[in-house]
Amino acid sequence: MALRGDWVYENNGGTCVAIAGSDYCVVAADTRLSVGYSIYTRDYSKICKLADKCVLASSGFQGDMKALQKNLSAKHLIYQHQHNKQMSCPAMARLLSNTLYYKRFFPYYTFNILGGLDNEGKGCVYSYDAVGSYERVGYSCQGTGGALIMPVLDNQLKSPSPLLLPSRDAVTPLSESEAVDLVKDVFASATERDIYTGDKLEIIVVNATGIRQEFLDLRKD
Amino acid sequence: MSIFEYNGSALVAMVGKNCFAIASDRRLGVQLQTIATDFRRIYKIHDKLYIGLSGLATDAQTLYQRLVFRHKLYQLREERDMKPETFASLVSALLYEKRFGPYFVQPVIAGLGDDNKPFICTMDSIGAKELAKDFVVAGTASESLYGACESMYKSDMEPEELFETISQALLASVDRDCLSGWGGHVLFV
Repeated sequence: MALRGDWVYENNGGTCVAIAGSDYCVVAADTRLSVGYSIYTRDYSKICKLADKCVLASSGFQGDMKALQKNLSAKHLIYQHQHNKQMSCPAMARLLSNTLYYKRFFPYYTFNILGGLDNEGKGCVYSYDAVGSYERVGYSCQGTGGALIMPVLDNQLKSPSPLLLPSRDAVTPLSESEAVDLVKDVFASATERDIYTGDKLEIIVVNATGIRQEFLDLRKD
Repeated sequence: MSIFEYNGSALVAMVGKNCFAIASDRRLGVQLQTIATDFRRIYKIHDKLYIGLSGLATDAQTLYQRLVFRHKLYQLREERDMKPETFASLVSALLYEKRFGPYFVQPVIAGLGDDNKPFICTMDSIGAKELAKDFVVAGTASESLYGACESMYKSDMEPEELFETISQALLASVDRDCLSGWGGHVLFV
């Protein structure tokens, strides 16, 4: 039947995590690119720096991810020319949502997390679905290992619950190094149980001094 | 919705130092409606052997009744309790009998064998055994449980620590699953 559209998409696997702190944001993703039960490459970055204080991590179909990154970078460049400044993270968040919804009836097969610092210098994380529904949260994880990691983050980050009313600021009280350690731990656990996660972990930390990158080896099986 | 997700369940068993713990959630639902918040999924076979049954609740109850019958018969004939390994083989056989019309359950068996050596195992719905040395999980929240247990588990935990760990892992995982929750039962030997 011509209605089946799944031949146009592929799931390249992988997991992304982001954690917002009081003055930093940690964004991490594994570097394995797979198709079915095979690995295409062990060294593929799923993280893209969109602006000075804004980083996008996507899991899902990496072809669509590349197209989305190009699209957003181009729009950001135009914004910089028109407004003579970099786009803030909340502005980029809304732009991403609109870009995704623009293709509502032939979506980008990407599950995105946007991380960075907001206008006041506090960490912010925005979590998306494939068609642009988004929410600012204190932490998030997407991808094949997402369901494995989320409960651990709920338990360990000591952020206020997103279900409380009145809604509270969701950043974690943990320090930057504690958050990075936690990210390394959860990825090690996810690698054990998820076949699409592994090889290497790329960690990006955005804080007032800029963007810092770190790598960690994961299990290669 | 899959038949395994009709009632909702979450089960986990962990091994500690000469002890084990088995925990389950307490929700019984019919798809998205909650019917009971105190439903017991873990049943005692004898003092040192417990079985948790996740999946379709009616099959879980029927299977439990059949297992209790077989175990009582065994006790009468052999004048002793069944070893956990033997019991696991019994469950596996009973499930495979129904290979082409299975019970929609995923059992988790936990017991203490000879010398109080802890034993845990899980099976799929047609009886394929999976023995593990650390922890086993089952139910609608199984993916979350895998992640949580993998992060929180350490080998040779003392009883108090094992209790804390299994409770935290269960609660964190069911909080992310809409079909399981409403607290947990933890049984500890």
